[in-house]
Amino acid sequence: MRSARVAAGNPQTDDRGEWTKKVLPTDLGAVRETEREVLGLLRDQGYDDDQVFAVRLAFEEALVNAMKHGNGFDPNLSVHVAYRVTPERVEIRVADEGGGFTPGTVPDPTQDENLERPCGRGIMLMRCYMDEVSFSPRGNEVSMVKHR
Amino acid sequence: MDIETRQEGPCRVVSIRGSADVNASASLREALLGAVEAGQTQIVCDLADTDFICSDALGVLITAYLKARGRGGFLHLAGPGARLSDILQTTRLNRLFHVYPDTGSALAAL
Repeated sequence: MRSARVAAGNPQTDDRGEWTKKVLPTDLGAVRETEREVLGLLRDQGYDDDQVFAVRLAFEEALVNAMKHGNGFDPNLSVHVAYRVTPERVEIRVADEGGGFTPGTVPDPTQDENLERPCGRGIMLMRCYMDEVSFSPRGNEVSMVKHR
Repeated sequence: MDIETRQEGPCRVVSIRGSADVNASASLREALLGAVEAGQTQIVCDLADTDFICSDALGVLITAYLKARGRGGFLHLAGPGARLSDILQTTRLNRLFHVYPDTGSALAAL
Protein backbone atom coordinates (compact mmCIF):
# COMPACT_ATOMS: atom_id res chain seq x y z
CA MET A 1 0.00 0.00 0.00
CA ARG A 2 1.41 3.39 -0.94
CA SER A 3 0.45 6.94 -0.07
CA ALA A 4 -1.97 8.57 -2.44
CA ARG A 5 -1.38 11.74 -4.39
CA VAL A 6 -4.95 11.51 -5.66
CA ALA A 7 -7.38 9.79 -3.33
CA ALA A 8 -11.05 8.96 -3.49
CA GLY A 9 -12.91 12.07 -4.57
CA ASN A 10 -9.96 14.12 -3.39
CA PRO A 11 -11.86 15.04 -0.21
CA GLN A 12 -10.94 18.37 1.29
CA THR A 13 -9.84 18.96 4.84
CA ASP A 14 -12.40 20.88 6.90
CA ASP A 15 -13.02 21.50 10.57
CA ARG A 16 -13.51 17.77 11.10
CA GLY A 17 -9.86 17.14 10.43
CA GLU A 18 -7.49 15.51 8.00
CA TRP A 19 -8.28 12.65 5.67
CA THR A 20 -5.94 9.71 5.42
CA LYS A 21 -5.54 8.69 1.79
CA LYS A 22 -4.29 5.40 0.40
CA VAL A 23 -3.92 3.83 -2.98
CA LEU A 24 -4.38 0.07 -2.93
CA PRO A 25 -3.48 -2.44 -5.59
CA THR A 26 -6.35 -4.41 -7.04
CA ASP A 27 -5.51 -7.34 -4.82
CA LEU A 28 -7.87 -8.83 -2.25
CA GLY A 29 -4.84 -9.40 -0.05
CA ALA A 30 -4.78 -5.65 0.61
CA VAL A 31 -8.28 -5.66 2.09
CA ARG A 32 -7.47 -7.10 5.50
CA GLU A 33 -4.54 -4.77 6.22
CA THR A 34 -6.53 -1.70 5.21
CA GLU A 35 -9.48 -2.75 7.34
CA ARG A 36 -7.15 -3.32 10.27
CA GLU A 37 -5.83 0.23 10.02
CA VAL A 38 -9.26 1.82 9.94
CA LEU A 39 -10.82 -0.41 12.59
CA GLY A 40 -7.86 0.28 14.87
CA LEU A 41 -8.72 3.97 14.68
CA LEU A 42 -12.33 3.21 15.63
CA ARG A 43 -11.25 1.21 18.66
CA ASP A 44 -8.82 3.94 19.68
CA GLN A 45 -11.72 6.39 19.59
CA GLY A 46 -13.89 4.14 21.75
CA TYR A 47 -16.42 2.93 19.16
CA ASP A 48 -18.23 -0.15 20.44
CA ASP A 49 -17.95 -3.63 18.96
CA ASP A 50 -21.23 -3.41 17.05
CA GLN A 51 -20.13 -0.18 15.38
CA VAL A 52 -16.73 -1.65 14.52
CA PHE A 53 -18.45 -4.70 13.07
CA ALA A 54 -20.76 -2.55 10.95
CA VAL A 55 -17.94 -0.43 9.55
CA ARG A 56 -15.83 -3.52 8.87
CA LEU A 57 -18.66 -5.12 6.91
CA ALA A 58 -19.44 -2.02 4.85
CA PHE A 59 -15.78 -1.22 4.22
CA GLU A 60 -15.03 -4.77 3.09
CA GLU A 61 -18.01 -4.74 0.74
CA ALA A 62 -16.89 -1.43 -0.74
CA LEU A 63 -13.29 -2.56 -1.25
CA VAL A 64 -14.29 -5.88 -2.79
CA ASN A 65 -16.81 -4.20 -5.09
CA ALA A 66 -14.13 -1.74 -6.22
CA MET A 67 -11.61 -4.49 -7.01
CA LYS A 68 -14.06 -7.04 -8.41
CA HIS A 69 -16.78 -5.11 -10.19
CA GLY A 70 -15.08 -1.74 -10.62
CA ASN A 71 -11.58 -2.71 -11.67
CA GLY A 72 -12.47 -6.20 -12.86
CA PHE A 73 -9.47 -7.54 -10.93
CA ASP A 74 -7.20 -5.73 -13.40
CA PRO A 75 -3.83 -5.58 -11.60
CA ASN A 76 -2.95 -2.44 -13.55
CA LEU A 77 -5.77 -0.52 -11.87
CA SER A 78 -5.84 0.85 -8.33
CA VAL A 79 -8.39 1.46 -5.61
CA HIS A 80 -8.34 4.87 -3.95
CA VAL A 81 -9.35 5.02 -0.31
CA ALA A 82 -9.82 8.02 1.94
CA TYR A 83 -10.99 7.93 5.54
CA ARG A 84 -11.15 9.94 8.70
CA VAL A 85 -12.32 8.91 12.12
CA THR A 86 -13.38 11.36 14.79
CA PRO A 87 -15.12 10.72 18.10
CA GLU A 88 -18.39 11.67 16.39
CA ARG A 89 -18.26 9.94 13.01
CA VAL A 90 -16.45 7.67 10.61
CA GLU A 91 -16.18 8.74 6.97
CA ILE A 92 -14.89 6.43 4.25
CA ARG A 93 -14.60 6.89 0.52
CA VAL A 94 -13.63 4.14 -1.89
CA ALA A 95 -13.08 4.79 -5.59
CA ASP A 96 -12.10 2.46 -8.41
CA GLU A 97 -10.72 3.17 -11.86
CA GLY A 98 -13.39 1.30 -13.77
CA GLY A 99 -16.18 2.58 -15.93
CA GLY A 100 -18.66 3.02 -13.12
CA PHE A 101 -22.24 1.80 -12.85
CA THR A 102 -25.73 2.93 -11.97
CA PRO A 103 -26.56 1.78 -8.43
CA GLY A 104 -30.30 1.88 -9.13
CA THR A 105 -29.95 -0.89 -11.69
CA VAL A 106 -28.70 -3.43 -9.15
CA PRO A 107 -31.51 -5.90 -8.39
CA ASP A 108 -32.84 -5.91 -4.84
CA PRO A 109 -31.23 -9.04 -3.34
CA THR A 110 -33.92 -9.32 -0.67
CA GLN A 111 -36.69 -9.98 -3.18
CA ASP A 112 -37.87 -13.58 -3.17
CA GLU A 113 -36.77 -14.13 -6.76
CA ASN A 114 -33.23 -13.00 -5.94
CA LEU A 115 -32.63 -14.83 -2.67
CA GLU A 116 -30.80 -17.67 -4.42
CA ARG A 117 -28.41 -15.36 -6.25
CA PRO A 118 -24.93 -15.81 -4.78
CA CYS A 119 -23.91 -12.21 -5.57
CA GLY A 120 -25.33 -8.70 -5.36
CA ARG A 121 -25.63 -8.05 -1.61
CA GLY A 122 -22.71 -5.68 -1.10
CA ILE A 123 -24.45 -2.38 -1.74
CA MET A 124 -27.47 -3.38 0.29
CA LEU A 125 -25.25 -4.32 3.25
CA MET A 126 -23.39 -1.01 3.00
CA ARG A 127 -26.68 0.87 3.08
CA CYS A 128 -27.98 -1.14 6.03
CA TYR A 129 -24.87 -0.97 8.19
CA MET A 130 -23.80 2.63 7.55
CA ASP A 131 -25.86 5.74 8.26
CA GLU A 132 -25.16 7.48 4.95
CA VAL A 133 -24.14 5.92 1.64
CA SER A 134 -23.88 7.79 -1.65
CA PHE A 135 -22.29 7.21 -5.03
CA SER A 136 -20.57 9.60 -7.40
CA PRO A 137 -22.47 10.42 -10.59
CA ARG A 138 -20.32 7.97 -12.55
CA GLY A 139 -20.82 5.32 -9.89
CA ASN A 140 -17.15 4.52 -9.40
CA GLU A 141 -16.88 6.07 -5.94
CA VAL A 142 -18.86 5.31 -2.81
CA SER A 143 -18.94 7.60 0.23
CA MET A 144 -20.07 6.22 3.56
CA VAL A 145 -20.65 7.74 6.99
CA LYS A 146 -21.26 6.07 10.32
CA HIS A 147 -22.29 8.27 13.23
CA ARG A 148 -21.27 7.45 16.77
CA MET B 1 -10.63 -18.50 9.78
CA ASP B 2 -10.39 -22.17 10.67
CA ILE B 3 -12.69 -24.83 9.31
CA GLU B 4 -13.30 -28.09 11.14
CA THR B 5 -15.42 -30.87 9.72
CA ARG B 6 -16.85 -33.93 11.37
CA GLN B 7 -19.35 -36.60 10.52
CA GLU B 8 -22.54 -36.98 12.57
CA GLY B 9 -24.34 -40.00 11.15
CA PRO B 10 -25.27 -39.12 7.58
CA CYS B 11 -24.60 -35.46 8.18
CA ARG B 12 -21.44 -33.46 7.61
CA VAL B 13 -20.94 -30.74 10.20
CA VAL B 14 -18.73 -27.90 8.99
CA SER B 15 -17.66 -25.56 11.78
CA ILE B 16 -16.38 -22.12 10.80
CA ARG B 17 -14.25 -20.40 13.41
CA GLY B 18 -13.22 -16.77 13.13
CA SER B 19 -13.89 -14.42 10.26
CA ALA B 20 -15.46 -15.61 7.02
CA ASP B 21 -14.10 -12.62 5.11
CA VAL B 22 -13.27 -12.33 1.43
CA ASN B 23 -9.82 -13.77 1.96
CA ALA B 24 -11.31 -16.85 3.62
CA SER B 25 -13.93 -17.50 0.95
CA ALA B 26 -11.71 -19.80 -1.10
CA SER B 27 -11.16 -22.11 1.86
CA LEU B 28 -14.84 -22.06 2.67
CA ARG B 29 -15.71 -22.82 -0.96
CA GLU B 30 -13.29 -25.71 -1.00
CA ALA B 31 -14.67 -27.18 2.23
CA LEU B 32 -18.34 -26.88 1.35
CA LEU B 33 -18.36 -27.50 -2.38
CA GLY B 34 -15.73 -30.19 -1.93
CA ALA B 35 -18.02 -31.96 0.49
CA VAL B 36 -20.95 -31.78 -1.92
CA GLU B 37 -18.84 -32.95 -4.84
CA ALA B 38 -17.67 -35.86 -2.71
CA GLY B 39 -21.28 -36.88 -2.16
CA GLN B 40 -21.78 -35.27 1.26
CA THR B 41 -25.06 -33.54 0.51
CA GLN B 42 -26.43 -33.33 4.04
CA ILE B 43 -24.55 -30.46 5.63
CA VAL B 44 -24.91 -28.45 8.80
CA CYS B 45 -22.81 -25.31 8.86
CA ASP B 46 -21.93 -24.49 12.47
CA LEU B 47 -21.60 -20.70 12.84
CA ALA B 48 -21.38 -20.58 16.64
CA ASP B 49 -17.78 -19.38 16.54
CA THR B 50 -18.03 -17.30 13.36
CA ASP B 51 -17.48 -13.65 14.28
CA PHE B 52 -17.82 -12.10 10.80
CA ILE B 53 -19.23 -12.98 7.42
CA CYS B 54 -19.08 -10.96 4.20
CA SER B 55 -21.31 -11.15 1.16
CA ASP B 56 -18.73 -13.20 -0.71
CA ALA B 57 -18.84 -15.90 1.98
CA LEU B 58 -22.64 -15.71 2.01
CA GLY B 59 -22.46 -16.40 -1.71
CA VAL B 60 -20.41 -19.52 -1.03
CA LEU B 61 -23.05 -20.74 1.45
CA ILE B 62 -25.77 -20.12 -1.12
CA THR B 63 -23.88 -21.91 -3.89
CA ALA B 64 -23.23 -24.92 -1.65
CA TYR B 65 -26.87 -24.90 -0.52
CA LEU B 66 -28.09 -24.95 -4.13
CA LYS B 67 -25.70 -27.72 -5.13
CA ALA B 68 -26.65 -29.84 -2.11
CA ARG B 69 -30.34 -29.25 -2.74
CA GLY B 70 -29.87 -30.13 -6.40
CA ARG B 71 -28.57 -33.50 -5.33
CA GLY B 72 -31.44 -34.11 -2.96
CA GLY B 73 -29.62 -32.90 0.13
CA PHE B 74 -29.55 -29.76 2.23
CA LEU B 75 -27.32 -27.20 3.90
CA HIS B 76 -28.63 -25.85 7.18
CA LEU B 77 -27.10 -23.14 9.38
CA ALA B 78 -26.67 -23.50 13.12
CA GLY B 79 -25.74 -21.28 16.01
CA PRO B 80 -25.24 -17.86 14.48
CA GLY B 81 -24.58 -15.17 17.06
CA ALA B 82 -26.46 -11.88 17.22
CA ARG B 83 -24.44 -10.10 14.54
CA LEU B 84 -24.60 -12.95 12.03
CA SER B 85 -28.28 -13.43 12.76
CA ASP B 86 -28.79 -9.76 12.00
CA ILE B 87 -27.04 -10.17 8.65
CA LEU B 88 -29.20 -13.19 7.84
CA GLN B 89 -32.32 -11.21 8.67
CA THR B 90 -31.18 -8.11 6.83
CA THR B 91 -30.46 -10.08 3.68
CA ARG B 92 -33.56 -12.24 4.24
CA LEU B 93 -31.36 -15.28 3.83
CA ASN B 94 -33.05 -16.62 6.94
CA ARG B 95 -35.90 -17.29 4.50
CA LEU B 96 -33.65 -19.35 2.26
CA PHE B 97 -31.73 -21.32 4.88
CA HIS B 98 -33.08 -23.29 7.78
CA VAL B 99 -31.38 -21.60 10.74
CA TYR B 100 -31.16 -23.53 14.01
CA PRO B 101 -30.06 -22.12 17.36
CA ASP B 102 -27.26 -24.69 17.61
CA THR B 103 -25.83 -27.73 15.87
CA GLY B 104 -27.51 -30.13 18.28
CA SER B 105 -30.92 -28.71 17.39
CA ALA B 106 -30.15 -28.98 13.69
CA LEU B 107 -29.07 -32.60 13.97
CA ALA B 108 -32.02 -33.49 16.17
CA ALA B 109 -34.43 -32.04 13.62
CA LEU B 110 -33.13 -34.19 10.77
